[in-house]
Amino acid sequence: MHLAHTAPLDLGRFMSYLSARQEVVSSNIANADTPGYKTQDIETEFSAAFAEARDAIVEVPGLSSKNDGNNVSIDREARLLAENTVRFNLAAQLMRGRIKDIRSAISEGHS
Amino acid sequence: MSLFSAIGISASGMDAQRTRAELITENLANADTTRTPEGGPYRRKDAVFTSAPAEQSFAQALSDFSGYPAQGVSVSQVVVDDSEPERRYLPGHPDADPDGYVAFPKINPAEEMVDLMSASRGYQANVAAISTAKDMIARSMDLFK
Amino acid sequence: MNILATALGSPTLPPLADPASSSNSGGGFADAIGAAMSQVESAQSTAATAASDLLIGGKGDVHTVAIAAQKAELSLELFQQVRNKFVQAYQEIMKMPM
Repeated sequence: MHLAHTAPLDLGRFMSYLSARQEVVSSNIANADTPGYKTQDIETEFSAAFAEARDAIVEVPGLSSKNDGNNVSIDREARLLAENTVRFNLAAQLMRGRIKDIRSAISEGHS
Repeated sequence: MSLFSAIGISASGMDAQRTRAELITENLANADTTRTPEGGPYRRKDAVFTSAPAEQSFAQALSDFSGYPAQGVSVSQVVVDDSEPERRYLPGHPDADPDGYVAFPKINPAEEMVDLMSASRGYQANVAAISTAKDMIARSMDLFK
Repeated sequence: MNILATALGSPTLPPLADPASSSNSGGGFADAIGAAMSQVESAQSTAATAASDLLIGGKGDVHTVAIAAQKAELSLELFQQVRNKFVQAYQEIMKMPM
């Protein structure tokens, strides 16, 4: 019975990571004009299967700052917004497919 | 919950940009106001943006992230320009001083317009962020079916 | 033993665990039912916790609760399948001439 581990858990964790990233991108956008604000992102260790991912908010290196110290790039944040939804929706779609597969496997008597 | 919190953050962004736009509009409308109830010409106003922690429970902030929580924004203060106003020589003007100079607000309409466009773009970006978060929540709800 | 009786809803179920009369499959089914039952309970408990964490504590995400709820449902469905197989097997056994 493989319900207890692997794939569904990984997708769920991945979706949590994307949700957290969405929150941080929203924060960057809200603070696009805040003096001194530094762009944030979520760092995830992709090397481990997502179930082991450790999320942390970190500053993003390599961005140029304006005179007041703010380094938010609206282009970057807009791109991440779009990227995030696509990945999230894809993960949700995969998850639904998986659940459906398990359900039919169960009702056909295989387990 | 990250997505609800994201919406709250974006809403704070919309509020701040709207306040900023209102101040700019007031500046533009009063670019030539030489007499105010407080005395003297209109003085330019500026919104100061400050990061404000998102509204989320303390327990959640501790357990979800090892870093610091994502932040919304607020207009922490409105700065009034208290520098010397611009003086123009207009001896016939009703508000002219004994030397014939009139004090005008130090407002550059072109600069204010650029600022207004920036506030408008900022507002729109926050609206887009909310829309995205709502979409993700809706997709999450689909998982119940 | 109790788990088996509960699963079938029958208080008069003869003791399949009786070593003298059980076939090899008797103990196997009991174990399968027991394992499936714990999994159902555990999955339902996880789902309930996830739901209250989100609704009351505001912690977690909607998708986490949804996934936990689905897992609980699937566990229950799996359990029902295992139980049905067990009932079929039991009925087959009972039809055998002694």
